[in-house]
Formats: sequence, C-alpha cells, structure tokens
Amino acid sequence: MAPSESPPRELDSKHEDKIVKFVSDIRNGKIEGSNNIALTTLSLLEQIITECENATALELSGVVREVGRRLCRALPQELVAANMARRVLRAIRDEHRLLCEQSGGATSGTGTGTEGSGDSLQRLVLAAHGGRRTTLGAALPHLREPLRDHIAEVRAEIESCTASISSQARAHVHAAELILTHGASSLTERFLKAARRHTHYRLLLGEGPRVQESHAMAARLSAAGVPVTLINDASIAAVMSRVNKVVIGVRAVLAGGALLARAGTHGLTIAAKHYSVPVIALCPLYKLSPLHACDRYALSALDCPRPSMLYECGESSRVHVECPRYDVVPPDHVTLFLTNLGGSSPSYIYRLLSELYDPKDHQL
Amino acid sequence: MDVDKENLIQAVVIMDTFNNNFSPLNNIKPAALFSVAGVPLIDYVLESLSLGGVGETILFCCENGSKVKEYIRMNKEKKLPWSLTMDVQVLMSDTCRTMGDVMREIDAAGLVRGYFILMGVNSISNINYAALLEQHKQTCKKDKGAAMTLVYKKVSWQHPMIRSDKPIFLAANANTGKVLMHQKYKPKAADKSINLPLDIVLNHSEVKLHHNLVDANIALCSPSVPPLFSDNFDFQTRDDFIHGILINEEILASCLYYILLKTDEYAAAVTNWKTYQVICRDIIHNWAYPLSIESGTFYQNNFIFMGNHNFRGKNSKLSRSCLLTEDVLVGDNSHISDNVTITKSVIGKNCLIGSNVVITGSFIMDNVTIKDDCKISNSYIGDDSVIGEKSILEAGTIIASNVNLNAESILKGAVIECSSANKEKTLSKSTSENEWENESVNSEDEEFIGLDKEWSDSESCYSSDSSEASSLPDSPVPDDTNIFLQEVIDSLARGYEEKLKCDYLILEINSSRYAYNIQLNEVNFFVVRALLGIPILTEAKNVLATIKDIWKYFQPVVSNYIKTKSSIMDCLKAVEDSCLKCPWLEGKAGQIVHLLYETDVVDEDSLLEWYEELKEYESPLVAQTSVVKFFEWLEAASEESD
Repeated sequence: MAPSESPPRELDSKHEDKIVKFVSDIRNGKIEGSNNIALTTLSLLEQIITECENATALELSGVVREVGRRLCRALPQELVAANMARRVLRAIRDEHRLLCEQSGGATSGTGTGTEGSGDSLQRLVLAAHGGRRTTLGAALPHLREPLRDHIAEVRAEIESCTASISSQARAHVHAAELILTHGASSLTERFLKAARRHTHYRLLLGEGPRVQESHAMAARLSAAGVPVTLINDASIAAVMSRVNKVVIGVRAVLAGGALLARAGTHGLTIAAKHYSVPVIALCPLYKLSPLHACDRYALSALDCPRPSMLYECGESSRVHVECPRYDVVPPDHVTLFLTNLGGSSPSYIYRLLSELYDPKDHQL
Repeated sequence: MDVDKENLIQAVVIMDTFNNNFSPLNNIKPAALFSVAGVPLIDYVLESLSLGGVGETILFCCENGSKVKEYIRMNKEKKLPWSLTMDVQVLMSDTCRTMGDVMREIDAAGLVRGYFILMGVNSISNINYAALLEQHKQTCKKDKGAAMTLVYKKVSWQHPMIRSDKPIFLAANANTGKVLMHQKYKPKAADKSINLPLDIVLNHSEVKLHHNLVDANIALCSPSVPPLFSDNFDFQTRDDFIHGILINEEILASCLYYILLKTDEYAAAVTNWKTYQVICRDIIHNWAYPLSIESGTFYQNNFIFMGNHNFRGKNSKLSRSCLLTEDVLVGDNSHISDNVTITKSVIGKNCLIGSNVVITGSFIMDNVTIKDDCKISNSYIGDDSVIGEKSILEAGTIIASNVNLNAESILKGAVIECSSANKEKTLSKSTSENEWENESVNSEDEEFIGLDKEWSDSESCYSSDSSEASSLPDSPVPDDTNIFLQEVIDSLARGYEEKLKCDYLILEINSSRYAYNIQLNEVNFFVVRALLGIPILTEAKNVLATIKDIWKYFQPVVSNYIKTKSSIMDCLKAVEDSCLKCPWLEGKAGQIVHLLYETDVVDEDSLLEWYEELKEYESPLVAQTSVVKFFEWLEAASEESD
C-alpha cells in the first residue's frame, strides 16, 4: 500500500544498532517530550547520512526511508520521529533538484538541465512527476554537505519553535480573560508564562490523567504570578460557559486538521464547541503529521488503567478499565492552530503539510 | 567501559521454579519459555530488567539450559532493545537442584561483584530496579548487617492474587522496615491463628503487621548473600534463607528488610495455575504497563484492539459470526471459524479453531487445531495439539504439547501428555476433581484452571522442615541441645532394644554431654525427656505399661542422674515438658508422676512444690484430670500417714 520508491532494504548493522538504541532510549524514558524526540531523531538521521559515503540521492533516500519505517513501526505512538524522517527525505529531494539545476546550468545539454531551467508554475507541476524520479538516481558528490545544512536548519527551527509560539501569546491572551487549559505541557506552560508578562489573566487548569504533573505545573505557574485554579476534568463542562478561551497543547496534528491530544481533550473541546468558546491549539510544525484520523491502529493505544483505578483494590480484578492514551479531536472543534509560523485554521493544515513534506513521503 | 562496569547493576535470574506446579509442562519446556498472555516469561523478565536500569543479567539455568541459551541467542540476533542496553549471560548447571545450590554455585564462581538483584524467571514487574537497589544500599549504610531487601506489593485482601497464592504474614519494625517475622499461610486453612511472639511487640516501639502482600519473588541482595548460602548448607529455598536469617540473626549477623511498592508499580509472580490466570488477565488489561502483550517484540502495534479488552493479531482471521466476549487475545495468523464464542481466553499463534466451538477461560498455545463443535472451558492446551470433533474439555484439563486427541473425547480435570512413543496416555485421570470443583465454588464466580492437587504439592516445596519448625513459637532451643536430646534418645532406644548394660549407657550419655557442652541440670532434664520420648512409645498400644517397663529397665540410669533435690525438680520439669509436647503422653501426666512417686524417683515434698509452681504459671497441666486426681490422692495419702 505504500508507494515506496525502493523495496525494503537492509540497513548496516551499525545503523540498526543505533536505531535499536534510540528506540530503547525512548521506551526507557531516557528521551522524553516530543521536542527532544524530534531533535534526537534528527541527530540519528544525520549520523546515518554522514556514514553513508558516496551515496546517490536515491540510496540516501532509501536509507532514510527505511530508518523512518522502522521507527514508525517500533514507536507507533511517536509520530514526531516519522515526521522528522519525512522532513529529511524532503530535504534530500530539494537539495538534489537544486544541485541538478546547478550542474545542469553548468553542463547544459543533458536532459536534466533543460528541465530545471524555466521555472514557470505549469512547468513545475508537469515536471514534478516525470522528472524527479529519473534525476534522483544521478550520483552527486556534494549532496551531503548542503543536506547537513538543511538538517541544521530544521534543528534550529525545532529549537526555536517554543520561543516563537510563546511570543505570539500577546496576540491571543488578553487582560482579565479566563483561560482554560488541560493537563501539563511544557509548551503551554511557556506560552502562558509569556502571556503573563504582558497581561493579567486568570487560568483554569483541568487536571487531566496525569494529576501530579498538572499539580506541579499549576504550582510553577502560580509562582510565575498567574492566578491558577485547578479543576477536575469532570467539572470542565460546568465552568466552560465562563471561559473566554481554551488553550491546549497537542500530541500531533493530523492531515485533515484533526488533532491528537491527551485523553480528556475531546470532552473539553465538545464543551467548548457547545459554548462557542474559541479553542487555540499550540502546535509546532514538527508535530504536523500527514496521517489521517481514520488510521485507528496507530492512534488507539491503551494506557495503563492505574490513574483511574488502583490495582490494589479488589475490584480491579473484576472490571474493565479502558484508558485510551489519546483523544482524536475533530477539526471543527479547533478554532486556530498556533504554529511557529503564526496562526492557521484547521482547513489550512493540508497546505502546511504539502509545504513541509513531499506527497510521496506521506506513506513512509 | 571498564569504569562503567563497576557501576553496572547486576541481576541474577533463576530460570527454574524448582517445583511441579506446572507439571507436566515443565518437562517439555523450560519455565522461561512458558508463555503468559502470548509472550514467553523470559521476555517479560529481560524487558523489565532493561527498563529498570539493569546493566548486566545472569540467567542461571538448571534444566533445559540449552533451549534457553538458543532462545537468547536468537533474540540477540533479532536485536531486541534489551540486547543493546544489557549484557545477558546464560549459565548452565545440571547439578543444581534447588535455589540454594544456585546461590552456592554463584558464590563459588564469584559471579556477582556487589549488590545485586535476585529474581525468579516467573516474576513480572515494571519496577525501577536501579532505584530500589539504591534504596537497599542506603539501608545497608545504616545497618551493616542488612543482607536482603524483599520486594512486596500490597493489595487488598479480596484481590485474587492473595486468594490464589499462599499469602505471607509479615511483621516488621515500622521505623526501619526490618523484617521481624515472616510466615506463609493458607487463607482457607483450618488453623486460622498465627502466633506472634511477644518479644516482637515488646522490643520495638512500633511494629507493622502485613497480611496482604504479594510476593513477586524479587529481592535486593547485599554481597553477603551468596556466602551466606555457602555457609549454611541447609538453605534450599529463599524461604529457608529468610527463616534461617530471622532465627539466627545474631549468629549470622545479618538481617532482612522489606519494601512495599508504590501504587503505580506492578509486581507479581507466576507460581501456580491460578496466579497464571490472574497475571494473564492483568497483562491483557495493561496493569503491568509498560510490559504488555507486545513485550519481547521490537515492532509494536501487532495487535488490533477490538474493545472490551479483546485483542487480535494483525494477520489473524476472524469469521464474521464469531463472538469474542471479553479478555480474549488471539495470536497472529490464527483462524477462527463461524459461530465460535470465546471468553476470557488466550489463543496462541497459528491456531485453527473450527466452527461452533465454545472456549471459556482457557489457554491455548501455538499451532493448536481445535476441530468443530468442541467445548473447552478452564483448560490448558499445549503447542501443536489437535483436538478432535465434538470433544469436551473442562475443569482444569491440562494437555501438554503434541497431543492428538480423538474426536468426541470428554475430559474433566485430566492431565494428558504425549509419551515419547507418540502414544497418548492419561497420567492422572482427575483424582482431585471434586476437590477442584469445591475450590471453584468457593472462589465465587471466577473459575480457575489447574488442579488443586498440584497446588497443594507445592506446599512441600515452599516449607521444608526447617521452616515448619521455626514457625512454632516456642522453638528457641539451640541446635546443640536438640542434637544432644536426639542422641540420648537414640542411645536409650538402642540400649533398651539390645538390653545393654545401664552403666554403658550412662557412659555414652556422659560422653555426648561433653561433646555438646551440656550443663548437668540440662542432662537430668534431657535424660528424663528422652526416656519419655523413646520411639517405642509412639507405637505402643498401652503406653503406661510400656513406660513402666522402660522405667524399670532404666532404673540405674535414672538413679544415677536424679539424686539431689534440684535434679528431682529437673526431672519433674522434663515430665511436664514431655507431657505437653509428646502426643502419646497426652492426658497421662498424673499416671506418670504417680509412677515416679511409686518408684521413689521423686519424693512428696518436691512433688508438692512442683505442683505449686505449675499453678503459679498456669501450666495447662494443672487442668488435666489425671494430675488433679493424683494430687488429691497424694494429699489424702499424706494425711492418712500423719
């Protein structure tokens, strides 16, 4: 079902070891947070690319695709890792085309040269399918250098996205507003702290499934001068009519503009929709994933039932406790996605996706 | 790397359970490869160790070691996550028969460098071993003698983990967590009382008593543990070790501590069929997260969640008309045909289940074929078996691997295994069927597979003689005197049988006395005690007549020891002690004392004095009618003579 350009390929055992190490680090909890996972995935891909000497663009993309595929299967919950592989694949394509154009310009007469010259829109569209595939095969010695620059760019983007999202706080949080958020998230915390620097507002914090983390975040925020009220998830609907704005962090943004977030978010957005409260989702671009919300297998993961019920009590052996890890929130519940490039509505997500990834890489 | 090696956390996993709780399966497969919720036990262990921060693992196999070794090698090639973060060594020894042997072997080979984690292959847990070991090291800093910290999970009294395994009664110092008493008991046993020695309560300001602990078979050990096993050859199991240390705390200069796991940590051990069933359910319900049905695989999302805790492998084929009620796990490439109903069961990989089959509470391993119209409830079906049409298996039927069952067979609580000649044979045709049914009625609506018979077999594995003796509250008798008593009994019994001269016997007793460094008053006590404890008495029909006989024969011996007033008191105390401890003397104290009085061994004054003493500390003897009668007679006699 995957429109793969190359058949599944064997990786070097050295590379395999690295992938296994990376996966076990994430499973062991040594690498936490999607930001860190994105950065380490990038470093992993960079290392692997560096070690692939004298590789053609086709080979390189094959290796990266295979790494992405493995990460995707080994860590189905960490959509960010696969996103990074897609970003690097896109970079390989771009750099390769660029190089081809340059070399085509220098040694005019070859087939590729004429193709890249006139950059009319029509030409690009027409050339997109026929051209790229043939050109990927050509060996270009200087591909890795610009690729590394490209990866460094992506890394810089990831590192700065928290700052650039929270710098937009001023435009969205206004004086004396009542803001509601759900569960602990470092990005939301930064955003809210940044908002506090400009205005006074009040915050309601829904506890979410990880109560302790939420409490810690509430403590930090109130230390930063934000008046915080912690509420139970069950009472979110009751207070929703008073709320001015909902700000949530997301796990991933899916292709149709739906979003994947911590369990309990869907209930919250339904309440917000009912009271027509605007919902702002904070999503750095690396969380944009070209998956569709119908892909149930990847998205329906069960969590440990412990937060809802203690194993110790005798009832735990008699009841079914189903704890989904994530909720899928439909696009019409979200008013605005706040990315590091500014706000965009759910219907615009497809456009962002096509800018970030090559359509051929959507399915790794 | 060399510097790191010093700080690596070591774990020793004992790959055998050394019991027959899962017989006959343990003859076919090593315990490590026994599958729980579709995943071999060893995979859970290795994954949990690597998640818990362990750097080096020693797997110690006693039986079927080569199979385990092969499996580990295969998994290393597959590059499972633990293979990179953890160094796994497989050791084999055919001579080890108990856990104690394994520890002695480890000590002899010097395999452990320092503090280490000791666990069985049947432990399933998601705890952070590194943090717990650190905690144990802290305890050791405070108390140099801390040898072992036991890891327990506290659950509610009604929890099936408590009901289906033997719970532990644990008394501990509440301030330090030092274990003071450790006793296993059966919740449904007739004897509902536990004796708590008074000094435990008196010597500590605060004592915690636990009765609802799940033992996960995990312990954090100091470097002193393997040498302790080497020094004490009678330590066979971990329980022996625990009891040995608790009894001889001063002599061995070691003590035990315990840790209760936090609420977000899971720990349990597969010890019998019932716990097996409970743990399977826990894993399907994700209680052991991050250990799950996907443990032991690098790639995840191999199962499709179908609601109600039903999971099926991605490549399994389910008929549209089949019904999975709840808690069902269907392995990869299995095929389930029309009108099948499955409840609370685990189906392995590559299984073929025919039409109209009903499966309830059963465990079906890989490559099993179940033909049409079978009914299977509360049973276990091993690998590669074929069950014929219209068969009915129920009430804890266990079928080992490779069995080809004829059509329309009806089995109830049977254990079937395939002999080497490829011939079927029924090992034990439901000897304990009724017993098992009672059990299932008692345990409310939940049904368990497995035979109660096997489960009681395990008792002998758990509690060897030493632990049984130690559980008696009044056993502070040091070993030497016990041996001395035994020797005196032996000498006297032999003397009586072979009619040896009493002088020789006195000589023999005296030499034993010097050998064991026994005080004179103790010798008096033990000689009388031995006289009343000669083995012949236990079989004698008329105990009193035999005692009279023996007493007459040993008159010279008795008169040699029982001369002075104090020795007479010793003698009477020995009589009292014997009457309380020996079942054959029950209710006959009066007659024995009368015999002594008649043969002039004891005089009237000492008897009265002794009687006063008895009354003073309210010995149970005072209430015995024979004693009361004797003293009434004695008083009357003395008045008459006056």
